[in-house]
Amino acid sequence: MATEAVATQRRSPELRRAVTPWGSFSWGYSDVGADIFVGLGLVLAYAAGATNVAFLFAGIVYVCIGLAYTELAAAYPFAGGGPYFVLRGLGDLFGFIAGWAVLLDFTIDITLFAWSCTDYLSQLVPVFLGSAHPWVHFLVVLSLIVALCLLNVAGVRESTAFNGVVSALDVLSETCILCFGFLFAFRPDLLLHNMSVSWPSPYHLMLGTSLAIVSFVGLESISQAAQETYRPASIIPRTSVSLILTILIFALAYSNLALGMQPWHPILGAHGHPLQFWQIFPFNSDNQGKAVALLAAQVPYWGAIAAFYVPILGAILLLISSNSGVFGSSRIAYSMSRTDLLPSLFQRVHPRFRTPSVSVIAFCGLAVLTLVFAALPSLDPAALSVYGRLFHGERGLDFLADLYAFGAATSYSFVFIALIALRLTDPFSPRKFKIPLNVPVRFRGRKTSIPVLGVFGFIGIFSILLFTLMTHPIGRIAGPSWLLLGVILYIIYRRHRRLPYLRSQKHDWRQHQREILRTSGDLELLDEYEANLKAADEAAAREGPSQ
Amino acid sequence: MPQPEVHATLTGAIAALFLAATIVATFWWMLHPPASFVERRAKEAETELERMVGSIIVVFTSEIASGHMMALAAKLARGERSDLLAIYVIEMPYTLPPDAEMPLEERTALDALGAAETIAKNTGISIRTEIVKARSTKQAVLDIAKRERANLLVVGDNREGKYVGAPLSRTIEEIAADAKCDVLIGVEGKHGRLLTQDHGATTESLSGKQEQ
Repeated sequence: MATEAVATQRRSPELRRAVTPWGSFSWGYSDVGADIFVGLGLVLAYAAGATNVAFLFAGIVYVCIGLAYTELAAAYPFAGGGPYFVLRGLGDLFGFIAGWAVLLDFTIDITLFAWSCTDYLSQLVPVFLGSAHPWVHFLVVLSLIVALCLLNVAGVRESTAFNGVVSALDVLSETCILCFGFLFAFRPDLLLHNMSVSWPSPYHLMLGTSLAIVSFVGLESISQAAQETYRPASIIPRTSVSLILTILIFALAYSNLALGMQPWHPILGAHGHPLQFWQIFPFNSDNQGKAVALLAAQVPYWGAIAAFYVPILGAILLLISSNSGVFGSSRIAYSMSRTDLLPSLFQRVHPRFRTPSVSVIAFCGLAVLTLVFAALPSLDPAALSVYGRLFHGERGLDFLADLYAFGAATSYSFVFIALIALRLTDPFSPRKFKIPLNVPVRFRGRKTSIPVLGVFGFIGIFSILLFTLMTHPIGRIAGPSWLLLGVILYIIYRRHRRLPYLRSQKHDWRQHQREILRTSGDLELLDEYEANLKAADEAAAREGPSQ
Repeated sequence: MPQPEVHATLTGAIAALFLAATIVATFWWMLHPPASFVERRAKEAETELERMVGSIIVVFTSEIASGHMMALAAKLARGERSDLLAIYVIEMPYTLPPDAEMPLEERTALDALGAAETIAKNTGISIRTEIVKARSTKQAVLDIAKRERANLLVVGDNREGKYVGAPLSRTIEEIAADAKCDVLIGVEGKHGRLLTQDHGATTESLSGKQEQ
């Protein structure tokens, strides 16, 4: 009896709340901040004179997504991210689908950023150039993935302090690049000229917009760090909104500067004619992969030093982002496994290193498969013709960006629906931050509200999902196939475990929320939550007898 | 070799300024979140402590041994950057003029204050010392506390040799009762141990009650 009492008193170790505001910001920035290094070149290649418009549209949608994540992460500061919100709002099946889409995103994240990291390094080490030395490029990316896999199995992670320093250096560096760029190389007339003369076709604008969302993926990180953030309800809205603003400002500034930039050193084309800066990206996959480094080198004065350090800083940031893919996928798989959405295999912890080694190896293995698929046409000319017939020649960075955009758009769509559902079904949880513009409604006799920006955001991200399906030949096959495969595996697993597969298991969300708030450091919110529950229970008791 | 080109425009300058200002403002706002209830309470306590120990006076007399409290006061003063004053009060008998020579007492005072200065030096803080002759120790201490606007008076226990039946001497009790600031009294030696033994006895009796 005594042992039982002791056993119930002994709590399993909880994640320590030690992440500061800067730590929380840098956690997200090291993931999202790297996206512009990949996205800028791709969008310039396809959206041409409308690159800034593509970024603006994706940016508006991203702001809505960011606000939705901020509200949910502040209200439910639990290390589960989007899949957890969807699980709470829409139940097990949709929670699984959202989680499965995020897993796709994280897996692609590993390859995409390792690939782009190599592209940035090729600016200083020409032998890494993908077009000139495809096998070297492939082997370097493969080595990076394998190294990250081994590091994560061994439990070696970059520290929050390292992330913080790299993020601070990058924010400072990008601000300097952009300020010097606007001060000494920006021509508003050139921007307007390019927007009018090089405006793309609707198809390419949709393609560019669907790729622009790639620059805004990674908000998961802040919400996943919520459980380790001190006073998350107060801190996360600030760090999240700051992250959204910083990334949006950088993306819009880069796109406008790239279109209106007079290069410091004139760039000559194949026939000796001077080219505008954005014109070096179409049909040049090498340049697409390292756009920020190329832009930084063309900024007057600052470019003299930026040409040397930006490729290195970019490569470090991209490698951290790639590592967050390894870490994030294993963490999501682990938490999905704990809620019976995935087999318990993914919970298996390495006996020596105490890390979820099965998850790490499984998703790094998948990342290697996607790498092979992306790199195959450049390694084998026979594969090039097959890709040309089946996928309109899409390959490499395009293929990875396709799936990345698909996974992000799918999971974000579900998060918007979960946001609205949770507003209706759980109005008791205190929301220290709410998306602006709400319409008051009554649901099951209770006062609540519908977020108008949430609805707009859903329409926006759903349209980007449609753009992705319409304009990416591989994405429209591989993306839905991944989801279908996941749902089939989910049904098989749940039937095997004799669990409901269309309905949800019983969850004691009230008790769960109490635990979350108790450990959050904002004890006033726990008081508010208890008061809301008490009032709701009393109201239900009053209405009960009369019915 | 084509020449480098530079284009400075007003629009570009405004864009650069706007960008830099927005980034700086965003980070300032992010890094200054509002304080929570517990953080406000903690801040109040820290401010209160600062107010409590802004100026500390350590009292020595022939009856009061404050050596160990001097060490504590020095550490407290270092942590809170307090103004520290050590005084030695020589109580003048009414049979003598108020400023009469008291060589033996003054020698003892110099030893006590010299030790206080050494403790302060070892702790890495500055200290002022003062020898005061007065008819009443209590009144002298209270007057100096008023003059110095002291926040904390630190006194040790009365010397064992002159123990007169009360745990604290009359002087200490009067200072504690009439001071307009906090008074920290250190109980050392026999009385300190007595309190420890009392505490042990209390614990034992409590556990005995629980067993019953």
